[in-house]
Amino acid sequence: MRDLVKATIAIIIVCALLFVVADQMQSKGSAGSKDTLTIFNWGEYIDPELIDKFEEETGIKVTYETFDSNEAMMTKIEQGGSAYDIAVPSEYTIESMKEKDLLIPIDHKLVPNLVNINGDFLDLSFDKGNEYSIPYFWGTVGIVYNPNLIEDHLTFESWEDLWDPSLKGKLFLVDSSREVIGMGLNSIGHSLNVKDDVLLSEATDKLISLTPNVKAIIGDEITPLMVKNEAAVALTWSGQAADMLWENEELDFATPYEGSNIFFDNMVIPKTSKNVAGAHKFINFMLDPENAAQNADYVGYSSPNEAAWALLDEEVINDERFYPTHEQREKLEVYENLGLEWLGKYNEHFLEFKMSLR
Amino acid sequence: MKKLSAASKAYLVLIFVILYAPIFYLIFYSFNSGGNMNNFESFTLEHYKAVFADSRLIVILINTVIVALLSGLIATVIGTLGAIGIVSIKDKKMRNTLLSLNNVLIVSPDVVIGASFLILFTMVGVKLGFASVLVSHVAFSVPIVVLMVLPKLLEMNTSLLDAARDLGATKRDVLTRVILPYIAPGIFAGFFMALTYSLDDFAVTFFVTGNGFSTLSVEIYSMARAGISLTVNAISGLVFAVTLIIVIGYYFISKRTKSNAAEGQR
Repeated sequence: MRDLVKATIAIIIVCALLFVVADQMQSKGSAGSKDTLTIFNWGEYIDPELIDKFEEETGIKVTYETFDSNEAMMTKIEQGGSAYDIAVPSEYTIESMKEKDLLIPIDHKLVPNLVNINGDFLDLSFDKGNEYSIPYFWGTVGIVYNPNLIEDHLTFESWEDLWDPSLKGKLFLVDSSREVIGMGLNSIGHSLNVKDDVLLSEATDKLISLTPNVKAIIGDEITPLMVKNEAAVALTWSGQAADMLWENEELDFATPYEGSNIFFDNMVIPKTSKNVAGAHKFINFMLDPENAAQNADYVGYSSPNEAAWALLDEEVINDERFYPTHEQREKLEVYENLGLEWLGKYNEHFLEFKMSLR
Repeated sequence: MKKLSAASKAYLVLIFVILYAPIFYLIFYSFNSGGNMNNFESFTLEHYKAVFADSRLIVILINTVIVALLSGLIATVIGTLGAIGIVSIKDKKMRNTLLSLNNVLIVSPDVVIGASFLILFTMVGVKLGFASVLVSHVAFSVPIVVLMVLPKLLEMNTSLLDAARDLGATKRDVLTRVILPYIAPGIFAGFFMALTYSLDDFAVTFFVTGNGFSTLSVEIYSMARAGISLTVNAISGLVFAVTLIIVIGYYFISKRTKSNAAEGQR
C-alpha cells in the first residue's frame, strides 16, 4: 500500500513539474500578450522561424497545429470545438468549404501584400476574385524518374512514355483516384475533370493497358524508394519530387505536355476564427516577399509570390520542372469539385483499375 | 527452469533482433550529419539540437508525457476499483456481462472511439484540448487496467479476506491492507500498459486534439507526410530513451515489492 501511495505522489509531482516547464516554454517570448492566433496547416509546411518572427513583429502568440489530409482538416473545422483562425486547404476543398459555409471572406484592404502574387495564381475557378482564399503554395502532378534505370529515349514529355514496354514492372503510382484517373484522361487528350461515363471508361481501359508496367500503387513510401534507387519511375506531386531530387541528384522530373493537374494550397479563414484581424495580419505577413522566399526555401514547394522569386536561388526559379512557364501552365488544369456522385464514379473506376492489376 | 536448447536460444535472439533492429536503425541515423537515411556520413548531434531548439516540439513532447502519466494514473484508480467491483459481484451472469462489455471496449476500433468522442465533446460543448485528450485517454485505458488487475484478484484466496475479517479488520482495512497490497503487481502492470497505450495512440487522439494542444503521435504523423526527416528520428530516439527509463523504473519497483514481500514473510 505504501508503494502505491508513494508512486501516486511521485507521478503527480512529476506531472506538476512538467506542467510548469511546458507553461514557461509556451509563454516565453510573448509574455503578457493575450492576443492569440491558431493556425492549422499541413505537417512540415512552414519554416518554424517564421512563426517566431511573426510573434515578435506583432506580439500575437501563435498556436500551431498540423493535419495530414484535406478531409481530416475539414472534418475538424466542421465539427467545431477548436477555434482555428487560419487553415491551408487545397483548391477542391476550398470549393466544398465555401459550399458548406465554413469560411469568412477576406478583406483585401488588410492584405496589401497581395500585389506580390503572380496574376496567374489569382482569380481562379475555385474562388473567383479570391474572396475567401489567398495562395500559399502550388505544384503539379508529374513523373519523377531515374535516367540510370531506364532506357535513354524515355523523357516523359508525353504520358505515352509510361506505356513503353521497357518499363515493365518499374512504375509506381500514387494511391489516389483523382491523380491516376486524371492521368488516364490526360493521356487520351481529355480534361481531368470530365463528367462523362464514356470518357471515364475509355480512360480506365487505357489505364488497364498500363497494368504490366505498374509495380505498385502506394503512398508516401515512394520518396524513400526513389531516393534509394530502388524504383525507376513514379507518378507523384512536384513538391514531393523536389524533395526526392534534393536527396538524390540522379533523379529527374517531368510534367507531360498533354496536360496535367496543377494544385494550389491556399490560406483561408474558417468561420470558427476568433481573431479575424490577426488572421489577416498573418496572411499579409506570409505574402511579404522576404518571408515567402524564406518559406519556399524551407518547404521546397513552388511559391506563387512573384516578388519572392527575385529573392530565391536563380537555379530554383529558372527550373522549369518546378516553376513551369506561363505557356506551360496553360496546359495544366485545376481539380474541380466533382460533387459526390462523380467523385464516387472516379473512385469506382480507380478501383476497377486497381483490381485489374495482376 | 529447464535450460534452453541452442536452437530455441537462436530463435529467441532472432526474434529480438527483428523486433529491435528497426528502432536501432532509426536511432543510429538520428546521429547522421548526411541529412538522410541513405548513407552515414559522420556523427552529429544537430538533429537533437533541432528538436530542443524547436520549443513547440518540446512542449508537445512534455504534453505527451503529462497526458500519459495522468491518464495512466486516473485510469489505474478507476480500473482497479472497477475490477474489485466486478469480482465482488456474486451473480455470475451479471459478472460475465460486465466483463464482456469491458472487452468490447478493448477490441473496438480506435477510429470509432475517437470519432464518437469528437461528436460527444462538441455536442456537450467541451473545448477540445488538454481536457478532452485526457478524458479520452482515460476512457480507453480503463478497460486495459481492469484486464490487468483481474487475474490477480481472481487468484487471491478468499479465505484471506475471511481471516482478516475474523481478526477484526474493517471494510477499509481489508481493502487497504489486504486486497491492494496483494494485487499491487497487477496495478503497476495496468498502469504501465495504460502509459504505453496513451503514448502511442494516434487514432483517438487525432480527433480530440485542438486549440494548440497536440501530442507526439499526431505531430509525427503529419510530419511524415513530407518524408521522414531526421528530426523525427531524433524525437523517436528521445521517446525510446524515456520508455527505457520507465521500464527500468518499473523493474526496480517490482523488485522492491518482491523483496518487501519476502521481508514480510520472515
